[in-house]
Amino acid sequence: MPQDMPPAGGYEAVQYKRNLPTKGFRPATLLGIAGVIMGYGWYRVIKGIRERNELAREKMWGRIHLIPLLQAEEDRDLVRRHLADQAREKALLGENFKVYNSDRYVRPTFAAVPENVTE
Amino acid sequence: MAARKPIFNQHVLYDTTPLPESIPKVKELGTTSAPLMSAAFFIGARCKDYNDDFMQCKTENPGKGEFECLKEGRRVTRCARSVIKDINANCLDQFKAHWECLENNNQQMWQCRQKEWSLNKCVFDKLGLEKRIPDQPKDEVPVQFRRNQIYAHASIPITQFPYLTPSQRAEQVENLRLRDPKKAARIDLWDEQQRQKEAAEAAAAQTKA
Repeated sequence: MPQDMPPAGGYEAVQYKRNLPTKGFRPATLLGIAGVIMGYGWYRVIKGIRERNELAREKMWGRIHLIPLLQAEEDRDLVRRHLADQAREKALLGENFKVYNSDRYVRPTFAAVPENVTE
Repeated sequence: MAARKPIFNQHVLYDTTPLPESIPKVKELGTTSAPLMSAAFFIGARCKDYNDDFMQCKTENPGKGEFECLKEGRRVTRCARSVIKDINANCLDQFKAHWECLENNNQQMWQCRQKEWSLNKCVFDKLGLEKRIPDQPKDEVPVQFRRNQIYAHASIPITQFPYLTPSQRAEQVENLRLRDPKKAARIDLWDEQQRQKEAAEAAAAQTKA
């Protein structure tokens, strides 16, 4: 019995690839485009960071020029309140007690307020 | 739920007792944040010595500075008051335009460059104070003179020029010489031409007179 043999000239190639048209750019080109976009983005980011550093420097120096006068005003107010407090304590208790074992000025945590509203 | 009801009695926290007579009086600045921000560099330009004195006093008297540095504090406040007063007297329009712009833009200096430039010009012409930010890098245009800022809402048109005082301009030309010698040379040439033109005009006026 004769055996089945391949046809003369061999079998046809089996088509396993999809037969679709390739659209768009080549992958290398796409990568290149993405790189360019990313590069521009990084350029802007770095420029923005440097600009922000300079803006921060400007703001910080503005603040440095303002701190003394704001602090001076605050200090005067604290001294005024402290002295008024001491006078009130003296008037009520007859003497000023030393509350803290230190010569430092301690910003009051609790306010002993006048009995009547003074404003 | 807390059983105690909150009692808001902060109205009695007002304490209007004035300072004793033994401490000299000084009128407080009474300026809000935006005008202060706008005038900060001019205050710094005029009051640097007083400010440094005050801060040094505070550093040397830790814990007692509030009492020891009252005198320095009064000087600081008086100096700042004088700056605000002078700006108000001489450059009120530009000052107001700038700080209102700051007020409307979350106090972001970079949104108000144009107004800042006109204020700087006026303040330098009338009071001789200039805005100076120390330690800026030399290899780029300082941020306060830029037309295009990434963070600003809009670029400033190319027809507008930042105001630089003569010393600032000289400094910027020197910096430009490092990074773009050709442009610096062009500026030098232009300056030289201006000088020659002025000299020629002066000579012409002299011969006429």
